[in-house]
Amino acid sequence: MIGIKQFRINKMKKIILSLLLGGVVLTSCKKEEVTPEEIVTPTTESKVQIDSKTTISNKTVTLFADNTNLYTGANNLYVKVTDASGAAITNAMVMYMPMMQMTSMSHTCPVENPMYSSTLGMYKGLAVFIMSSDSGTWTLEVGVDGESVIFDLNVIESDTKMVGAYTGTDGITYFISLLRPVNWTVGMNDIEILIHKRESMMSFPSVNDFDVVMTPEMISMGHGSPNNVSPVFVSNGHYQGTVNYTMTGDWRLHFELSQNSTVIHSDAYLDILF
Amino acid sequence: MKIISCLIISCAVFYSLAQSDTSVVKNMLLEEVVIREVSFDGIKDQFKNNTQEHLLTDKMLENMSSVTLIKRGNYAQEPTIRGLNAGQINTTIDGMQMFGACTDRMDPISSYVEPINLESISLATGPNGSQFGSGIGGGLNFKLNKAKLNQKYVISGIAGVGFESNSNAFRFLGGIQISKKRFALQVNSIYREANDYYAGNRQKIDFSAYEKWNISGNAIFAVNTQNSIVLDYLQDDGRNIGYPALTMDVSFANAKAGAISHVLKRSGKTFYALETKVYYNYIDHAMDDTKRPAELVPMHMDMPGTSQTFGFYSNSDWRFGQNHFAKIKVNGYQNDLHAEMTMYPKAGKEMFMLTIPDTRRSILGLDVSDKWLVNKKVSLEYGGRVEVSRSEITTLMGRQTMTSFYNDDLVKDNLIWSAFLQSNYKINKQFSLHSGAARASRNPTLQEQYGFYLFNRMDNYDYLGNPDLKTETSWNFNLGASYSSKRVYVEAKLFAYFFSNYIAGLKLDDYSAMTIGASGVKQYSNLNSAVLTGFEVTGNYQLLKSLQFNTSNSFSYGEDGSHAALPFIPPFRSVNQLIYNLKGFKFNVEYIAAARQGHVDFERYGDSKSREFHIMNAGVSKSFKVNRFSYIIRFSANNIFDRVYFEHLDLMRISRQGRSFELNFTFGF
Ligand SMILES: [Cu+2]
Ligand SMILES: [Cu+2]
Repeated sequence: MIGIKQFRINKMKKIILSLLLGGVVLTSCKKEEVTPEEIVTPTTESKVQIDSKTTISNKTVTLFADNTNLYTGANNLYVKVTDASGAAITNAMVMYMPMMQMTSMSHTCPVENPMYSSTLGMYKGLAVFIMSSDSGTWTLEVGVDGESVIFDLNVIESDTKMVGAYTGTDGITYFISLLRPVNWTVGMNDIEILIHKRESMMSFPSVNDFDVVMTPEMISMGHGSPNNVSPVFVSNGHYQGTVNYTMTGDWRLHFELSQNSTVIHSDAYLDILF
Repeated sequence: MKIISCLIISCAVFYSLAQSDTSVVKNMLLEEVVIREVSFDGIKDQFKNNTQEHLLTDKMLENMSSVTLIKRGNYAQEPTIRGLNAGQINTTIDGMQMFGACTDRMDPISSYVEPINLESISLATGPNGSQFGSGIGGGLNFKLNKAKLNQKYVISGIAGVGFESNSNAFRFLGGIQISKKRFALQVNSIYREANDYYAGNRQKIDFSAYEKWNISGNAIFAVNTQNSIVLDYLQDDGRNIGYPALTMDVSFANAKAGAISHVLKRSGKTFYALETKVYYNYIDHAMDDTKRPAELVPMHMDMPGTSQTFGFYSNSDWRFGQNHFAKIKVNGYQNDLHAEMTMYPKAGKEMFMLTIPDTRRSILGLDVSDKWLVNKKVSLEYGGRVEVSRSEITTLMGRQTMTSFYNDDLVKDNLIWSAFLQSNYKINKQFSLHSGAARASRNPTLQEQYGFYLFNRMDNYDYLGNPDLKTETSWNFNLGASYSSKRVYVEAKLFAYFFSNYIAGLKLDDYSAMTIGASGVKQYSNLNSAVLTGFEVTGNYQLLKSLQFNTSNSFSYGEDGSHAALPFIPPFRSVNQLIYNLKGFKFNVEYIAAARQGHVDFERYGDSKSREFHIMNAGVSKSFKVNRFSYIIRFSANNIFDRVYFEHLDLMRISRQGRSFELNFTFGF
């Protein structure tokens, strides 16, 4: 009973308030400034074509990315496959095999094989480029139902540290990278990071059992931010959390990585600038 | 604008003809300092025996019995009433709501008015029928000077120049008035410039210089004998103002305020007066650290802020029978605050944040009060106010900023009310008693509600707002007695404020400070309770026909529910003055003293102890008339014994001015 009465009073209060405030709003030249900042939903048009190749059986494989350039760190890579007649093939078995050829050796990098997305009309996968093209030559071999084509890639060094290689206390090298695209604002932001390890030069599997503690820091001022939610594992090496940027500028995200309560690395970090 | 002009026109049309008004009912809860006597002979007579135009508004406030100033620099000191400050008191300019734009409280709105454009300053110490808003501890209203109509066409004016030795300060002032039967115009202006001042023992206080220019205009059009239209404009431009107690100075602090009012006066009628005003004001404020030595500036910053308010009020005065004088008022306003900070590190990208994230408050209030002359001995004054408000954030970036620490709805509606009852009992011709009770409430300020890492120099903490703050309320009680005879007037008052939901900053342990060097982060929160109590004794004694003694003494004591001393509470303070008139010369000697304040809580509020002090000032002025011109010259010496001292509310305990000599000259025609 008391609850209902309380509710009624609150409701009455609200009604009176809104009536009275209506008056104030009328007398005041209303000047609501809303700066729209829509989040761009990905469509085929928003992707940038990198290159196009033809397989032996005359299938056309076209490679797309989010930007004109590929950067060190995680990059979404999309391919569109069409047959000789130009019709899209939507059920092919598509594989990515990135490869970096350096003077003395060659290696691949963490990769996620593509899946067909009907909204995009393309196959969407991902590669984490751990070095830029300055130190070698990157290629991407795309396999389509047993055939393959090879793209030459140019990977540019990111402005900030978007991927880091850290050797854990267990002697294994781990790669931590930030999932793009990012559209940072002041305040709370969703964040997704990827963690992979190097098994061999040809194998970089995802790490799915880490506990992550994230601490943002504004290095030039020496302060942090409150209310961050450290990323937790979702699937396939992906960890999602929430990061709080109290102002724009240079931020460093520190990550403490541990596995079964054993600290693997106490200060892996990525750098942000916006 | 259309709506505004419609309002004016409909008011003008609705009320018509009668004669002018005479009945002015003195309010028991209001203390008034008259700066210029209302006179109809032009402004030259208004300054006769009076050089207040030369004073700083701060100096005038300082001598009011319940007012103490928070000092951050030699200029723009912030008034507190019995130690109550910021959102706890309601400060208005001619009834206009105006809010400082500075996040460091560098620009209390009293800094945007000058004695030359003021007619009076009225002070209330709790809810009453003469205010223009809600406040726990009453408020201050700076009444702007009004041009005076005259049957004959008269042009009058004043001009003045002043010099002060301690800070090498100059001022130039001027005013002109054109009076006609149905039209009058008055324009006043003052320019001030001061260099760094010296505390006692010739100790220079760096970054204490300032420069400002103020102009105000007022025009009256008498539509007929009952109706007039009044226009007001005020502009104040501050430049390069130093704040030795803060880490930054001000490059500019500009305020513009304009108002149009309709005034109706119908003497002898039940509904005998109505004043309706529509106003707008805009404050633009920018802080500056470029004049500070590089080693004291860890990082260069720009910190601009703006505040704009538009609003209206309509005050009506009623007289019912012989014994009831009632007032009904409606007021509303909308205030928008924006403050931002850009930081430039020596290496790396600049950083940007909103410190007041584009906040807005809209308010609508209704006041009803009555003064009832019950019988020859007893009078009562009672009334109340209801106020609804909405607080919100108007930009996307502002709302995103708030997600840093707050997830709920940012739009907050509130309803607050206050009520008061004041009684006056005249025992006999000499003695009277008065007592009163009031229930007061206030909204949190927009800074308290939505502030984002606002640095407080006093306790060295960054402050976060709290959108969930509850209304701060208090029960106020006062009890007083006065004695008046031909030569003596003495009044003693006891007061107490019992707070609920007292708003104060509480530490947030796991937050890291944003400001370089700050001790941590606090968030505004409601404390269950707090108490403020004290007394005031004022008096004057006409010793001889030409010798008068005035005294004003006050004491406050405050603590919160956990017995921690409240901050900004002035200790016992006494202002005493002897005035002697001899053949057109007017001598005055002033003795100001304050006790030490040891009742402080550094841990919770960052307040530190302060020492007692004793200051002597003296002055002499001479006014004379040659033909139709009048002249007044005043010479004064302040802090004659060059004492090194500071007051309890002075931030960072920076010493006040040492000995200074002042010479003012004013000319009127
Ligand atoms: Cu910062
Ligand atoms: Cu400021």
